[in-house]
Amino acid sequence: MALLTLLYITFLAGGLIATMSRVDSQLLLTQLTSLLGPEIVKGDAVSLEAYSHDATPLFRGLAEVVVSPRTTAEVAEVVRFAGRTKTPIIARGAGSNLCAATVPLNGGIVLSMVNMNSILEISKSEMIAVVQPGVTNLHLDTEVGKEGLMFVPDPGSRSVSTVGGNVATSAGGLRGLKYGTTKNYILGLEVVLGTGEVIRTGGRLVKDVAGYDLTRLLVGSEGTLGIFTEITAALVARPHASKYGVGYFDDLTSASIAVERIMGSGILPSTLEFLDNTCIAAVEDFAHLGLDVKAGALLLFGDHGDSPFVDSIVQKMAEIASGVDGCREVTLAPDIAAAEALLYARRCSLPALARLGTLSILEDISVPRPLMAATVTGIEKIAEKYALLIGTFGHAGDGNLHPTIVLDKDDREAVQNAERAMAEIFTLALEMGGTITGEHGVGSAKLPYLEARLGTVQMSLQRSIKTVFDPHGILNPGRLGS
Amino acid sequence: MTENFTQSKLDRCISCGYCLPACPTYQLTGAEESSPRGRITLMRAVQEGRMEKENLLAESGFCLGCRACEPVCPAGVEYGVLLEEMREILWQGKNRPLIVRGLFLLVKSRWRVRKLGLFSHTARPRSAKSDIHLMLGCFERVLFPHVSRTVADIAPEISVSLNQGCCGALHAHNGELELGRKMAVKLGEDLPGTILTTAGGCAAHLSANIGRERVKEFSEWWMQKEVLLSKIQQSGATIRVGFQDSCHLRNGLGIFKEPRILLRQISNYVEIPNASGCCGAAGSYSLLQKKNSRRVVAQKVNDIKSLNLDYVATVNPGCTRQLATALKRSGLKTRVVHISELVALAAR
Repeated sequence: MALLTLLYITFLAGGLIATMSRVDSQLLLTQLTSLLGPEIVKGDAVSLEAYSHDATPLFRGLAEVVVSPRTTAEVAEVVRFAGRTKTPIIARGAGSNLCAATVPLNGGIVLSMVNMNSILEISKSEMIAVVQPGVTNLHLDTEVGKEGLMFVPDPGSRSVSTVGGNVATSAGGLRGLKYGTTKNYILGLEVVLGTGEVIRTGGRLVKDVAGYDLTRLLVGSEGTLGIFTEITAALVARPHASKYGVGYFDDLTSASIAVERIMGSGILPSTLEFLDNTCIAAVEDFAHLGLDVKAGALLLFGDHGDSPFVDSIVQKMAEIASGVDGCREVTLAPDIAAAEALLYARRCSLPALARLGTLSILEDISVPRPLMAATVTGIEKIAEKYALLIGTFGHAGDGNLHPTIVLDKDDREAVQNAERAMAEIFTLALEMGGTITGEHGVGSAKLPYLEARLGTVQMSLQRSIKTVFDPHGILNPGRLGS
Repeated sequence: MTENFTQSKLDRCISCGYCLPACPTYQLTGAEESSPRGRITLMRAVQEGRMEKENLLAESGFCLGCRACEPVCPAGVEYGVLLEEMREILWQGKNRPLIVRGLFLLVKSRWRVRKLGLFSHTARPRSAKSDIHLMLGCFERVLFPHVSRTVADIAPEISVSLNQGCCGALHAHNGELELGRKMAVKLGEDLPGTILTTAGGCAAHLSANIGRERVKEFSEWWMQKEVLLSKIQQSGATIRVGFQDSCHLRNGLGIFKEPRILLRQISNYVEIPNASGCCGAAGSYSLLQKKNSRRVVAQKVNDIKSLNLDYVATVNPGCTRQLATALKRSGLKTRVVHISELVALAAR
């Protein structure tokens, strides 16, 4: 009898532990499969390995299950299950983020949203689109383009990245200066909270101040507050024409002066991008575009709008740039092909740099625009100090810089030095009054530096916010708000 | 035999994911493991000893090998080479599909290939003044012997020799890299000078092994001749023609403009949506992965259906067979022909 009681108690305790703590991987797989069916639940070694990465180097982690839901109800089902079993859920779009926001470092369930990829509605008169989160950015932009509209966010990964992922990281892009970023274009969200409850924030309204702006809070929440199942995005009229030009400068300081003068003249161009000398050389070596490899900085400028107006604006920008001391040459792209080549030079900066080594670490600091040149000089000093190859390119118009460290992944000392250099670059950005990430997100890669940016009070506030949305602590734990 | 992947080729991938939208199997499934990036992640796991190589068998077979991921890759990953290595590492012994073993046997040597074509009416042997030799192909000479005949008819300056075997593309794509290379070199010796081929897949494989300058694909070669042809009329109207790219010709050798220019010259040309996307023939894929091959071609048939075409022109025998079968199955009247057959019609 005593033995039986003991067994019973052990059984109870076991059950209690099972509900309190994490469930065994195999059990997780079995239960989820019986809940949702085998078509959308996978737990084999091959699937788990494939989802062990996103586009961030040096981060890897194995999930226990990969679920690819097709409906909001299925997402809610998974979240409720995860709440009951205290299992982490890592929602993921195309996995093209650069801050390790979707690497399953603590196991759990990867929720791959790519099969929820329908465009539900494009309303030309309201200038909005309602989409599921798995639609790719480029596909949405192409479809709304047929109606003469444009979806503004255009991250470098636009052909692959999903709108859900864009919202989760508040993605930016080349048009940020003139048009803003994702956060400026999301009107409403359908979200599954950490409790499994489904809410709809905002809607199709341009004006709506009923309550706290939860939509804005959820944009950029990196899967830690809720899982998006439907997104209502504001669109803008698609510009008819565009024009681009390129200026070469002796150094970035003179290029920065050109930027300040252009902006100071009252022009707000859609594109103001720069490459430093390291990037120019790498891009030229890769793409053979005929760039001036002796220049210290390349400034790509352009605008879009109505035809004669755009031509005159870009012409004016060219004149301003030519007038700056240290300007070597300014040319305007005569046709679309030449303009595309220029844009390509900017877009291929990362891969072109990446070819110089076996490991590239891409950073994403943002500083007030007038301090951009000083910041790049600071980065050059850090590169020298640690004997690292660092190329910097970025958005000259909005002060968002992408210093890229290229090294040999097997050179341990270099990898350690790269980590030290990164920390110093973050400190530098903060000293300049800038931030540790402009458009890529915090994820796991930048979490250690977040407190330096936010301070203890805000960190604690962030944690409190997360608890309200996600009382069980299951939504992308170990990241924002943890 | 390769045991490991070439590390420097694995290192090229920066996991950016730009390949995902270009990949037909990722488009079918939305599964990361069925994408080029996912497969490279898996290859790395095997290379680093974290995973048994047998785990990759399913994916090594599911991949079409179309290399659509290569032109969109900003980092210049040679995925086609990595796939060939993956199949060489995996498809050995009992892991080699029976059909592949059978195909290898059929075309193992020159005399076997010749026997294959014994009863098919290919181009007759002849020696011409130029140093251009027409390649007859292995399966091509059995399935579509009239293609070589047509080319020989419209191009009297080329030589035809029966003394030629298989180029080895079949082998390289199915786990016998070294043999595939050797066969290409052997063919290069048997046919000195320039080799003219009507198969995009063979053109890419030969180029990689005997040098790009020694290989000419038909449409590329014909365009160089700068012959002016007039539009083909049938029952009082200019024929409506679409075109299906050959994956390896497009993604491997970058030839996709030439056939289109040529077709615009001789027909009322209509671009098929996603013409650059694989039709699912993919060499032996249509035999090895029948179901998946049909899933891929179903989309293609849908794209072609509404275009009301008289012909779909191809530049590779595998595509011809795949599309002809699929279009017939769905009851479409559109005929599938090698591009040279239309050139012959126009030249007449």
